[in-house]
Amino acid sequence: MTDFIIEHRAALGEKKSSSFMGVKLEVLPEGHVLHALAGSADGDLSGAIRTALGLEALAVRFVTPGQWFIVGDNALSHAELTGLADRLKPMVDIVDQSHGRIRIGLSGEKATAVLAKGTAADLALAAFPVGHATMTLIGHIGAHITRTGENAFELMVLRGFAESLWDELADMCAEFR
Amino acid sequence: MTSYRLTKGGLVDRSKPLSFTFDGKRFVGLEGDSLASALLANGQLLMGRSFKYHRPRGVLTAGAAEPNALMTIGEGGRTEPNTRATMQELYQGLVAQSQNRWPSLDHDIGALNSLLSPFLSAGFYYKTFMWPAAFWEKLYEPFIRKAAGLGKASYEADPDRYEKCWAHCDLLVIGSGATGLAAALTAGRAGARVILIDENATIGGGLLAETATIGGISAPDFVSRTLAELESLPNVQVLARTTGFGWYDGNVFGAVQRVQKHVRDPRPEVPVERLWRIAAKQAILATGAEERPLVFGGNDIPGVMMAGAMRTYLNRYGVAPGQKVAIFTTNDSGYALARDLEAAGVKLAAIIDSRVAGASNGVYSGPARIVRGGFVSDAEGGKALSSITVFKDGQTEKLAVDALAMSGGLSPVIHLACQRGGRPEWSDTHAAFIVAEDRKGLSLAGAAATVNGLSACLEAGVAKAIHLVGGLGFNAERTVFGAVEGDVIPAAAKPVWNIPGIKGKAFIDYQNDVHRKDIGLAVREGYGHVELAKRYTTNGMATDQGKLSNVNAIGLLAEARGISPADVGTTTFRPFYTPVSFGALAGTSHGKHFQPVRQSPLHNWAKKNGAQFVETGLWYRSSWFPRSGEKTWRESVDREAKTVRLNAGLCDVSMLGKIEITGKDAAEFLNRVYSNAFLKLPVGRARYGLMLREDGFIYDDGTTSRLEENRFFMTTTTAYAAGVMNHLEFCAQALWPDLDVRLASVTDQWAQMALAGPKSRAILQTIVDEDISNEAFPFLGAKEVSLFGGKLTGRLFRISFSGELAYELAVPAGYGESVADALMEIGKEHGICAYGVEALGVLRIEKGHVTHNEINGTVVPADLGFARMASATKADFIGKRMLEREGLNDPNRHQLVGVRPLDPATSFRSGSHILEKGAAATLENDQGHISSSCYSPHIGSTIGLALVKRGASRHGEEVLVWNGLRNEYTPARLCDPVFFDPANEKLKV
Amino acid sequence: MASLVPCPHCGQRPKEEFTVKGAALARPTADASPETWFDYVYLRDNPRGLYDEYWHHTSGCRRWLVVTRDTATHEIEGVRDASAKKEAAE
Repeated sequence: MTDFIIEHRAALGEKKSSSFMGVKLEVLPEGHVLHALAGSADGDLSGAIRTALGLEALAVRFVTPGQWFIVGDNALSHAELTGLADRLKPMVDIVDQSHGRIRIGLSGEKATAVLAKGTAADLALAAFPVGHATMTLIGHIGAHITRTGENAFELMVLRGFAESLWDELADMCAEFR
Repeated sequence: MTSYRLTKGGLVDRSKPLSFTFDGKRFVGLEGDSLASALLANGQLLMGRSFKYHRPRGVLTAGAAEPNALMTIGEGGRTEPNTRATMQELYQGLVAQSQNRWPSLDHDIGALNSLLSPFLSAGFYYKTFMWPAAFWEKLYEPFIRKAAGLGKASYEADPDRYEKCWAHCDLLVIGSGATGLAAALTAGRAGARVILIDENATIGGGLLAETATIGGISAPDFVSRTLAELESLPNVQVLARTTGFGWYDGNVFGAVQRVQKHVRDPRPEVPVERLWRIAAKQAILATGAEERPLVFGGNDIPGVMMAGAMRTYLNRYGVAPGQKVAIFTTNDSGYALARDLEAAGVKLAAIIDSRVAGASNGVYSGPARIVRGGFVSDAEGGKALSSITVFKDGQTEKLAVDALAMSGGLSPVIHLACQRGGRPEWSDTHAAFIVAEDRKGLSLAGAAATVNGLSACLEAGVAKAIHLVGGLGFNAERTVFGAVEGDVIPAAAKPVWNIPGIKGKAFIDYQNDVHRKDIGLAVREGYGHVELAKRYTTNGMATDQGKLSNVNAIGLLAEARGISPADVGTTTFRPFYTPVSFGALAGTSHGKHFQPVRQSPLHNWAKKNGAQFVETGLWYRSSWFPRSGEKTWRESVDREAKTVRLNAGLCDVSMLGKIEITGKDAAEFLNRVYSNAFLKLPVGRARYGLMLREDGFIYDDGTTSRLEENRFFMTTTTAYAAGVMNHLEFCAQALWPDLDVRLASVTDQWAQMALAGPKSRAILQTIVDEDISNEAFPFLGAKEVSLFGGKLTGRLFRISFSGELAYELAVPAGYGESVADALMEIGKEHGICAYGVEALGVLRIEKGHVTHNEINGTVVPADLGFARMASATKADFIGKRMLEREGLNDPNRHQLVGVRPLDPATSFRSGSHILEKGAAATLENDQGHISSSCYSPHIGSTIGLALVKRGASRHGEEVLVWNGLRNEYTPARLCDPVFFDPANEKLKV
Repeated sequence: MASLVPCPHCGQRPKEEFTVKGAALARPTADASPETWFDYVYLRDNPRGLYDEYWHHTSGCRRWLVVTRDTATHEIEGVRDASAKKEAAE
């Protein structure tokens, strides 16, 4: 047996949340991100998932037909994860992405203008309402975007690209310093 | 006698002087000036030297089409050559240099070219510079290289920032003159998302040079009021200094915004240019019309300019062109200038109108002398205009003038509408090339659509906007503007291409020095087709892209060939409308941001252990871990490879692709994508798999483990991770959508490390809670494991790339570094080392394991000794049928084989070719090539893997390894590709 | 510059978000003739006009789509999810 202290190293551990004029870039807690996979691409199971787990709207986010992310700020133990996955069977299979996807917050009245420097997705409120989620490119890095408020977005990126995306976003915010 | 600033008039601010330098000389201009207007105000007519003949040149226009007044602006890394002085906003401290002259603008040695002009006609370089052949490299080419180009670019790094962005709108309006403003206002008031762009610093287009009134207020005041309302609407975005340069598929428009090109010291966090991609549902091209020059002798002498430009300098910039002005026109628009010049107190020597009937009724009633049915056949002067020759009815008359305005008619600015394949048509009625019908997604309005006159343009903008946003569901009201007074409507008139009595050079393309005779030459030499004439004469090929020259050339070609301009046609229109900097096109993608950086979760672990990194695509992989005292990479790599086989090593393999596959048909799915059997893979087992392409060749290889009945974990190679994922999704979605198979990329979820070597089990057992003895966890075991007394859950795979007793441990990425640290700590007493991809490479080559060096798109399973991995019993798998082809089963195919030098002190390189002993190095004698090679510390020599004709049956044969690039020959012997522990004893311990 | 592709799941997106595979042909059955298989793997029409292609929305929803596009005008006539396609060649 060993007495090693196993430490968690956050992907954005060396980055600090930053505020600019009209836009804020935030390091979010790694918490949990669970990939829910249905057997068919038809149908919207997000409501059923929310009901089964007693979650609010923004906790279950569309990824692609037949797939959703279950997102929360608290880390889940292996037992909690297994229990949750069992509760959702046979509707969806769960693949843990809590370490694989890193969350970044971008908010403020300039948030849309900042994101428009990287993505061609139409981010106007009418085209992209609160709760809407999609995957797109921000510059050359793929990201999942959820609108969490009128002027607030949450981005999710592959862990390997997290620092790179953060640096890009910080650069995109620079003119609002 | 020269140009000068008027004491009043214009939109410039006489209370705000700005000092600047031109060719080192200090000048003063005013706020609101362009560089060109400021130079004119100072009487500086001479602004450049032409490309070929080095003729003195002045400014010809007041806008984007300027071909002559090209300057180098700025210094150091901000130096920007070939900037049109007409488009450069003046700012305090601006530094400008003229171009293409030596030693000075006034006294340019290049002017000697004029003496050589009979030898420098169009296409002269096709007939010269050929003899003697040796002179090309030493004399002609360097000479041409020096002569080529106009401005010189800086070699210093550009210190400024550039940016790109996207925008979406219902209606994009390009051009903010009367038509554009009317359209934007109408659509904006209706609630549509509107973006209005204009290439100029100030919104308003032609209204800024207009003396007519709208509803009783001046045209510039009308602009200010309209702009104020537009800027107050939250659904409207106005972008000045923004050129719409291209129209692209999907109705996307490219535009470049000059954010800080008008400030001497730009703010570093703000870009100097911003590239916009605008996705518009509808768009209006309200870009107006470009006036055409007239082609007469000396039409390029400083002091000769476009009539509309002269009017702009007068009304917008308060600059008079000279003291004795003449106007040469073929239509009514020259008379608006006449009226405005006289109102400003400038003397008009004469108006020369080519029309026998002269101006339309009521257009002009001033005192100037009018010569009807006359032409200016020549202008005279050197560096400044001094006189013109008027030709009428066979007689000539010389007039002393210091400024000449010319107007050859108007060409609608239709470029963007023709950039996606359509061409404009010649209209005799409008004497211009026009786009008769609106395009899908892009409409034309105002002067760009041949509508003339301020009032008509305002109405046209309104009507077009109502129609277009109406189609998008917006109910727009018809905007009513006040009555227009004092407008001269420039109706179309018969064009004049060939002017009689010309003696001097008559220029068509100012920037490339193409003159009238060049067109005649092109036709005589057989290059009369418009596309050929363009390339033969270079007409229209300069940075101004023929904005002033294309139509004149077409007209002259038409007359030379005796046909109509309609039959000559135009050349192809392509983006960009005006040049776009590479900075804007690159945006932020340079330096640190050139490409994304992808880091392994063990990156920091590798770094603190001293790793030397290598870029593999976007990943940074640890290549080797030098220890102090090691002087070469070989020393480190040899040590790492030996340590792994002797004790143990830890290697980061997190960047290999990892895909989780679930669903009740997951096994069936894998059975179809791999060539070997997967249906009955037991839970808790890993299996090496080959994935073929549909043409039968191997695509990728990897290891797939069954963790649960319906949950599999696939690994791929690093380079093909993305490709395999795309391929699996294709199979699941497009080929077999009825299968219940679910795919998730988990490459980033897991930190994966290889722990290899005889001591690996001992080290690992310290942290793994379950029993991992050989009996409990045999070779190819795969399962979830509890670690550190239940603190962590990971996955353990007993697979080996090195051929040693080995495992791959996957832990959630955030814990990777900590676990790797723990393993290194525990392994210390066992003599563990960290190893990188170089040592990994040595180990796998020693064992004859293949990578994409061997799986290079030309090999099938049998070529690598994997014939049994192509299932004979499966009904179907990707690649099965095409693998059956005769050629892919030919025994003479290149097969995997090992290679060792006869003399262990010699070596060879990958890429070398195999020859039979004694054979010459020819293509016919080629037996194959070395796909992988390394120095093996265990074998004591270089070893290699090769793909050799019938290689499997040639073990023991002596061959020659030939490196044609370095002319090296190494005698060698073919052998079994497994160099070390061929019985795999170490593996199954 | 960017052509916009109307992904049925994501809306208009620039072509940089996509990977183009090639002609959207139905995969032959396992027992189809060798000639049928040769054609499927190697033979392609080259029409001036409408053409069906498989496009993968790699940086978006990651769904495979069938894009019907005019090779001359670049107009996209239709886009559908590839899973909607069912026929196989003989």
